[in-house]
Amino acid sequence: MVDAARQPLIEVKTYTEVEKVEGFVGNFKVTLREKAKYVRADRCNGCGDCAKVCPIEVPNYFEMNLAPRKAAYIPMSQSVPLIYNIDMDACIHCYKCVEACGPLEAIDFSMQDKIVEEEIGAIVVATGFSHFDPSPMEEYGYNRYPNVITAMEMERLNNSAGPTAGSLIRPSDGKKPQRLAFINCVGSRDKRFVESCSNFCCMYSIKNAVLAKQMNPSADISIYYIDIRTPSKGYEEFYDRARSMGIHFIQGRPAMITEDPESRNLFIHTEDIALGKVVEHEYDLVILNQAAIPQPDQNHMSSVLNVAQSPGGWYMEYHPKLRPMDSPTDGIFFAGACQGPKDIPASVAQGSAAAARASRILHSKSWQIEPTIANVWSDRCVSAQGKVCGICERSCPYGAIDYTQGKAAEVITAKCHGCGACVAECPHDAITQLHYTDAQILAQIRTLLANKPEEKILALRCHWCSYGGADLAGTSHFEYTANERGIKVMCSARMDADFIYEAYRLGAGAVLFSGCHPQDCHYITGQVIGAKRAKRLETIFERLNMTPGRFRVEWISAAEGDKYARVLNETQAALDAIPPADLHAEIERLRPDMAKRLTRLPNIPGVQRAMDHTEVMVNTILSREKAAP
Amino acid sequence: MSDALNKNEEELRIGVYICHCGSNIAGVIPPKEVVNFAAELPGVVRATDTLYACADSGQRLIKEDIKKYNLNRVVVSACSVRMHEPTFRAAVAEAGMNPFLMEMANIREQCTWAHGHDREGALAKAKDLTASAVSKVSFLQPLDMINVPVSKKAMVIGGGVAGISAALDLAEQNIPVVLVEKEPTIGGVMAQLNKTFPTMDCSI
Repeated sequence: MVDAARQPLIEVKTYTEVEKVEGFVGNFKVTLREKAKYVRADRCNGCGDCAKVCPIEVPNYFEMNLAPRKAAYIPMSQSVPLIYNIDMDACIHCYKCVEACGPLEAIDFSMQDKIVEEEIGAIVVATGFSHFDPSPMEEYGYNRYPNVITAMEMERLNNSAGPTAGSLIRPSDGKKPQRLAFINCVGSRDKRFVESCSNFCCMYSIKNAVLAKQMNPSADISIYYIDIRTPSKGYEEFYDRARSMGIHFIQGRPAMITEDPESRNLFIHTEDIALGKVVEHEYDLVILNQAAIPQPDQNHMSSVLNVAQSPGGWYMEYHPKLRPMDSPTDGIFFAGACQGPKDIPASVAQGSAAAARASRILHSKSWQIEPTIANVWSDRCVSAQGKVCGICERSCPYGAIDYTQGKAAEVITAKCHGCGACVAECPHDAITQLHYTDAQILAQIRTLLANKPEEKILALRCHWCSYGGADLAGTSHFEYTANERGIKVMCSARMDADFIYEAYRLGAGAVLFSGCHPQDCHYITGQVIGAKRAKRLETIFERLNMTPGRFRVEWISAAEGDKYARVLNETQAALDAIPPADLHAEIERLRPDMAKRLTRLPNIPGVQRAMDHTEVMVNTILSREKAAP
Repeated sequence: MSDALNKNEEELRIGVYICHCGSNIAGVIPPKEVVNFAAELPGVVRATDTLYACADSGQRLIKEDIKKYNLNRVVVSACSVRMHEPTFRAAVAEAGMNPFLMEMANIREQCTWAHGHDREGALAKAKDLTASAVSKVSFLQPLDMINVPVSKKAMVIGGGVAGISAALDLAEQNIPVVLVEKEPTIGGVMAQLNKTFPTMDCSI
């Protein structure tokens, strides 16, 4: 901590929130809110005279609310930086602190939040984790029985700088406990709360048990566990040491804790798996090792940073094995428990790893980004012909289109992120996206639907989320219908209505339109544009009496492999429910309508040639099909 | 730009590589059948299978073929683009081809791994996905990466043990760092801990 504050190249901004992250790799613009501390950092010397005279006491989060702090406070004596804060929600404006501060004049009630912008090349997100509150677990009586505490509360009680100066006492009577029990997996590995393992709690409870035993060698200490997990270096040895110290390990997830209302002693009722029977043991103090959970504001931060979350709410890495520190956004990296529960050695290692990933960029004079950006065919843009339009400019999430009436719209290369919204929205087909042109995508659609199109489900997926969801379905071996035929575009904003009309014109059984959830969109509002178009298409197909289920719109994140498989299987079931003759009749009925909507298509540069070429492709596929046994 | 997009008159010479991925793909579908299918597609002058396309030997095969068959487009039917698109882009670039003229068909994550229950269906899909990639490469244009400048300053969000570690490592490489913490002190959960495992020393 102190090292970070002493390092001249690190500017520590505490009591500061990230409000907005814009830009792209190498060129992020981050807006910070430096919240008013009402104490001037340049004058405060950390003497604490203000806190001494402050008459207000409120619970201190740092002490797990076991001890109070003043309204003029620092969370702990070793705070870095050592600058006091005035908690304005608690302050009664008695100004005793101003008086106590005297000639230093560090306290300044006129201070206000400051909004600052930083130009940043790369970002490391290390926002950590939070603790599960065991109150909803009625069976353990936390908050009802005073002598049931959490491990974090024990941590403060056991700490020489904590509220009891390091003396572990029973909250009910202040006595030293002689019989202690630790319960592992409280809230974790529990289908009601957190399904996953919290990673560090086994070692954490063993550490706390060893500390308690060292302080009081005659204490009777037990750890209740489902499994003891000691996979890292030196962990199993530490577990052995705990056992040799006489700490009991009882395998069994306690079903219930009851309390003797007089002594406030606790009874743990559990199945002891080793004995194969139900047992009951009495304790003076019970410590719950609660699950690690994402930060309460992790959903909010995930939208600010534009990064996705795994099931469970943790930030999702680009690839779990190959790029475990990278977010899907180039230039943003994860470190520590915000990506999933981790212990201290792993968090430190990840901090270094993320720094190494970020420094690749920060040591470069320039960085390469993908050229899959939008481009205007100026001869097709109606603005150049003097007509009022500007639809492209309005659809762009980045303000990357320069639209002046009378001139062809122009894409500002450095600002374009390549979502393709303008390309799909332009009513005159005057914009294309490099690497995702209409010609390329239409050629893919036609090829995928060459053979028995009525049996196929054409799935349009965005690169960042739904394509990842489909990958995860495969990685997890979730089986779904092999009739799915996928096409990848960068964003649902690029999913042109023409693609869907063309699929139905060709006789597709069903079409899936799938992108990210709105808060996960890689292109700010790309998904919103895609969703609006999908809604419009749903209305059109409803009006045309298309059988429901043949056009499906779903938002599937890269973490939702199960959902991807389910959606495909449901779509297949919907398709199977239509009698083949009815489906055939419906396809034929809709075909002319679809064709009418596509009359412009051959005029789009490249499309006619692509169609001609693909015709050869389709015929080859069909002739091979016929030749097959 | 319109000219560049319309201009695609050179003769297509597409190479198609069907990866076995050990048994990950070949355990569900016979790659040779996809090869035979792809060999007939318009523009394809070379189609073959390879045990591991991403391995040195697989990459070498593609690179040598580009020269030997004078390929101007490459399709790799293998795993997800999220896994190996950079690998194959780099491989074709080493053989002098523009990296954006390579396209992958995902016949592992999105085919054999998801359709193990339906081998026939998986094979039909693998063929279609390969054909779709062949269609796409037929209309691809060479592209160059865009160079953007870099601000030499890092931001670390969160002043716990991971954030502090990242900030120190960056600063020690002479990179200025803004370390942002929402609480009034850095330290995070670690600062709240008494002694820490495995060294049992103080946490601060």
